[in-house]
Amino acid sequence: MFMWNDGDLNDEQVAAIEEEKSVFLVACPGSGKTRTLTYKIARELSKLETEKKWVLAITYTNRAANEIQDRIEAMGVNTDQLWIGTIHSFCLEWIIKPYGIYHEQLKFGYRIINSHDTELIQTNLCASCPPPRVTHFDCNHFFDSTGLQISCADYRRGNVESVLREYHSLIKQNRQVDFEHILWYSYELIIQKPSISKLLSKIFSYVLVDEYQDTKEIQYHILAAVMKAGRGKVKAFVVGDPNQAIFTSLGGYAITVEELSRLTEIELRSMELSSNYRSSQRIINYFSHFKVNDSRIQSHANHKLYSSLISHDVQTSRDDLIDEIARLIRLNIEDYGFSPNEVCVVGPWWIHLATLTRGLVGALPEYSFDGPGLTPFVRDTENFWYKLARIVLTKPSPQMYVRRLRWSKEVISYLSDAGIDVSKLSTKEFLREANQIKIEEQDGLVYLQLFFDELFEKLSIVYDDFQVLQEHRDAFFQSSQARINRIRSEGVDFAGDIETFHRAFEGRKGVTVSSIHGVKGAEFDAVIAFAMLEDIVPHFSDPDPRDSAKKLLYVIGSRARKNLHLISEQGRNQAHPTKELSELRFDYSNLLAAD
Amino acid sequence: MHLSKVSIVNYRNFSNAKFLFSKGINTIIGENGSGKTNLFRAIRLLLDDSIRRSAMRLEEKDFFRGLSDWRGHWIIISLEFDEVSQDEAIQALFLHGAGNIETGTVNRATYNLIFRPKMSVRNDLSQLTLGDTTGLNHILDSLSIDDYETVITGKSSADFNNPLVYNALVGDFETVLFPSEIDESEIGARVPLILSMPREVSFTFVQALRDVVSEFHNNRTNPLLTLLKSKSGEINQAEFSPIVDQVTDLNTAIDELSDVTTVRDDIKDTINDAVGDAYSPQSLSIKSDLPDEAEQLFQSLKLFIAEADDGYEGAIHEMSLGGANLIYLTLKLLEFKYQRNNQSIANFLLIEEPEAHIHTHIQKSLFDKINYSNTQVIYSTHSSHISEASNVESINILGKVGGKYQAFQPTTGLTPSQIGCVQRYLDAVRSNLLFAKSVVLVEGDAEEILIPTLIKKVLGISLDELGISLVNIRSTGFENVALLFHEERIRKKCSIITDLDTTFFDTADVVGDTDAVKNAKKKALGSEASGLARKTALDIFCNDNSWLNPFYAPHTFEVDLIAVGNQDKFVSVLKDVYTDIATIATSTTELKSGDISVFGKRALTMATHSGKGWFAIILAKIVDHNTVIPEYILDAIIFAHGSFSDEVVFKILSYRLLKIIEDSDKQQTIVNDTLLQEEQWYTDWNIYLESRRGSISAFKLSLQAFQEGLLDINLLKDAMRTNFQNDVINPILERI
Repeated sequence: MFMWNDGDLNDEQVAAIEEEKSVFLVACPGSGKTRTLTYKIARELSKLETEKKWVLAITYTNRAANEIQDRIEAMGVNTDQLWIGTIHSFCLEWIIKPYGIYHEQLKFGYRIINSHDTELIQTNLCASCPPPRVTHFDCNHFFDSTGLQISCADYRRGNVESVLREYHSLIKQNRQVDFEHILWYSYELIIQKPSISKLLSKIFSYVLVDEYQDTKEIQYHILAAVMKAGRGKVKAFVVGDPNQAIFTSLGGYAITVEELSRLTEIELRSMELSSNYRSSQRIINYFSHFKVNDSRIQSHANHKLYSSLISHDVQTSRDDLIDEIARLIRLNIEDYGFSPNEVCVVGPWWIHLATLTRGLVGALPEYSFDGPGLTPFVRDTENFWYKLARIVLTKPSPQMYVRRLRWSKEVISYLSDAGIDVSKLSTKEFLREANQIKIEEQDGLVYLQLFFDELFEKLSIVYDDFQVLQEHRDAFFQSSQARINRIRSEGVDFAGDIETFHRAFEGRKGVTVSSIHGVKGAEFDAVIAFAMLEDIVPHFSDPDPRDSAKKLLYVIGSRARKNLHLISEQGRNQAHPTKELSELRFDYSNLLAAD
Repeated sequence: MHLSKVSIVNYRNFSNAKFLFSKGINTIIGENGSGKTNLFRAIRLLLDDSIRRSAMRLEEKDFFRGLSDWRGHWIIISLEFDEVSQDEAIQALFLHGAGNIETGTVNRATYNLIFRPKMSVRNDLSQLTLGDTTGLNHILDSLSIDDYETVITGKSSADFNNPLVYNALVGDFETVLFPSEIDESEIGARVPLILSMPREVSFTFVQALRDVVSEFHNNRTNPLLTLLKSKSGEINQAEFSPIVDQVTDLNTAIDELSDVTTVRDDIKDTINDAVGDAYSPQSLSIKSDLPDEAEQLFQSLKLFIAEADDGYEGAIHEMSLGGANLIYLTLKLLEFKYQRNNQSIANFLLIEEPEAHIHTHIQKSLFDKINYSNTQVIYSTHSSHISEASNVESINILGKVGGKYQAFQPTTGLTPSQIGCVQRYLDAVRSNLLFAKSVVLVEGDAEEILIPTLIKKVLGISLDELGISLVNIRSTGFENVALLFHEERIRKKCSIITDLDTTFFDTADVVGDTDAVKNAKKKALGSEASGLARKTALDIFCNDNSWLNPFYAPHTFEVDLIAVGNQDKFVSVLKDVYTDIATIATSTTELKSGDISVFGKRALTMATHSGKGWFAIILAKIVDHNTVIPEYILDAIIFAHGSFSDEVVFKILSYRLLKIIEDSDKQQTIVNDTLLQEEQWYTDWNIYLESRRGSISAFKLSLQAFQEGLLDINLLKDAMRTNFQNDVINPILERI
């Protein structure tokens, strides 16, 4: 069996990993949650006694899935019998593809569309709507076990409902399936055909769920059906932190251990990871004020006693925001000696982070930035051409070999699903063909087009014949073009260069700029957050504003190892700092403004 | 879990065939070329790990040859499995990919290979307007095999054997109607990549071998090596390392043999002498290269077997053919046993024509014992010895219907008690019933002996050559056996020949009848009544069954044989039946009387006197080409055989001509040898024989003309009639 070295794990982690029963693990920030999950998976994989059993791990992002898989492989554990990925990928791979033939809406064939397609269709429908005006942003919706749930609760709801009605009938008619429907159809299938969960429960010996606090009700139901069908033979390992449940507007919520036990009909043992290895005690003390659920947190960081800078700025005006953030970045890098890679700027996700990034690029030309505004394409992992672009834009190297091989496997299996005969195509051959292509072209999108065409010609595949590939191609290039145009219009001329494309896959470099939701799971020496304003944090439409505000602040605060700077700038339409901040009495550090 | 059905559409010699299998041992019966190997190939494509995956990519030559054009058509090979359980973890992955969960519980699973035009082609076809044949041909003409794709699906619900289903899925080439979208639950969902059936099942195929020795000599096919190889992976290093050391020592010892070093030095010197120092190789050595790896070392292992009790162990090539075959089969079975130990969800053993491996007397006992638990055995055969060992319920018979090979299941729709009867009959009588192309059932020794002789002598062709098996069911009752021939079961023609037993003399009471006469009349009436009852029952039984037809001798075989004009034959055997001169004389008169009540009685008396079987043997001796075949027998033969091909008719006519020449030569000899006749007698005969010879030459020319394609078969028949008006073949020719 897979064993670890002394000192790799602490007692709480070991206890969770060695627990034979199903585990419901509440993990405080920085407690080595992913590490624990990774070791648990490795251990369960090595315990498999037959080649017919699999371990299922659900992560919140594909990136997390890739990382965990890489780490397990690096430990020398065979991952052939591990299926790890997002809930959407899981539903697609294990429910929709094999059992879709039993669903009226799927049995005549279907195509998955991505968020960009959804956005386009909804924008068109919104345009033809009578007042009040609605945009696709207002059309937030999700499915739970009772059906469609629309987030919009104000006077525009009527319009939103009619747009969504038309949108749904349109995609049904076109046999398209969007991300929300992947879940809804999977749920319908798993409810209507009990054999599905029964069979899956025989295949999976373990179901591990990461970040349960952001899991939706319908997702709990799908996974619980599998666990329940196993009648105790399928073990669960559910990890997360209810204090960090920041996806409630998308339907995510932190289930309680009691509710999960009831759904799955399995006995879950509540356990805890309470040692924080990330933050100084001062940081922990600070973000602990925003706890919604009570839990213990102990600093075990080497820099436990670090005298952290923690500031809350309510003076800076909106116009000076970029300068102030630039000043703080400089302060942390130049005075405190943090690496630029370890500094992060976060803002709420509906603020135009791209503009901010580009402003910072202008203000701090000597530093590089990694922000959402700079990637020339959408990271849409369900898009075929994005999958392919990953291979095209990364260079062959021994370090990348396994990963690129995995990507090729994904690409080939996608082609096969699309109805292309790939019986003669091996992953290695595919990589070899791709590696041999040399394109001399500076424009990134043209480069990709030429590359794709040449690759497909080499493989003698005519992708025009396959509607799904055609649709994905249009979506990929159109959304990328739109993005590049937007970035260029704001003065970043190199946005479309092939170097920028390559850089998108070169790992994190420079100061990170991210939304609050985007820094989930990450950590930095210094975190600078702005727009900490009532009606932004929390969002004005949030049905439970106080809890949401706390969780957002909790997440932001717990990203920081050492220094934390919060800014509630003046001059926005939202004039008041977030209530939880203005009400908090805390011994903030005194930050002298630079002269 | 076991394979329960194999449906094949458009693959090789099958246009559309359905095979049904049951647990345990199954038999495929079929003549050569009926597609037994193709069926096995189809199954192996989907289940056999030893077939390269690339073989799934089919080729042009894999399409059913009867298709006027393969372009646009699909090949479908569909396997259906039964007794699967969603509760068994070991089968879960398989059912996830292939299990049909439509009904809520899984009890069957399908696994299909579909070879079809790629989506772009199907799209193009679907956009054709109804009846646009030109457009269709335009698309089809441009298709090559590269426009095809192989998909492996599971969970299909369609009955691929139904031509309507095929049309709905593939399209209608006649009306040019191609579906724009199809319900994928019909053809099933693509099987997830993680499921590969060949990996999930253990599967061993033993092919029919005619040359076992060469199989043993080939490293790739040598079954012994396969076995050793599977063991070499798990070899005990502690046990093996001393051997490696010894091999190394041995290699060194050989290297240092003085003869070896001498040769090496001589080579070196010779090169030096020949090309000089500058161009000679730097160094040169002769090294012994005995392998020190287990796998390679194992390749040098050979099997030695002592066949006789003299203790001499010989190599395979020294063994008797049967012995070597038995060893081969044994090793393959062991290979299967090794495989079966793995975690497989099902075990399949396919054996092609085991009679090619082993002697008849071992066959039956072998197949009684080969019954491994949880293993499905499917073997093909044309040996009736082997077919007996298996249950009639697990037999598939390959036969040709309307020019296409199909598979029949002989017991479809029968009740267990009917199946029991058939099974017991087949067990008891080593019959070739199941192997025949067509069957004639009779119920007496006389018919069994005489009908084949009659046909052979008159037509010059044996029943075997006509593909007809004549089966004497004795007193079993026709229905018990004839029920096998049916639209749902064996679709081969079956004629039933039986006596109607109508009385052939006046049965009215006459004053003064002796008790014996009274009895005979009563008995005859009884026979007539029961004959009529039999006919009624048999007619009903055969009604609505186009594969089955009864044919009745109006009275009794022997009586009707005379009635059609064979009295001389009967007269000529009188001396074999009776010794008393007076009886012979009376009998002669009676047989020639032309009165059925008289010759009929005599014929029956003769048969009873000798015993029916023996009498038939006596008669068989004198049956010749001029014997008249009773109508109902001819009818039965024609029904079973179907229409006679031109070649067969030609053969018959050539035979008839040969016999006519022999007759006329014989007659000429008699005329020549006969003395003391009147002049006119000689003149008449010679004129007759002269005209006969004229007819013979004329007909010879006609035969030749037919052979050269200048004359069609009907004109040839006419020529026969014109030249030889009274030949017994003429009425037959009208019928075939």
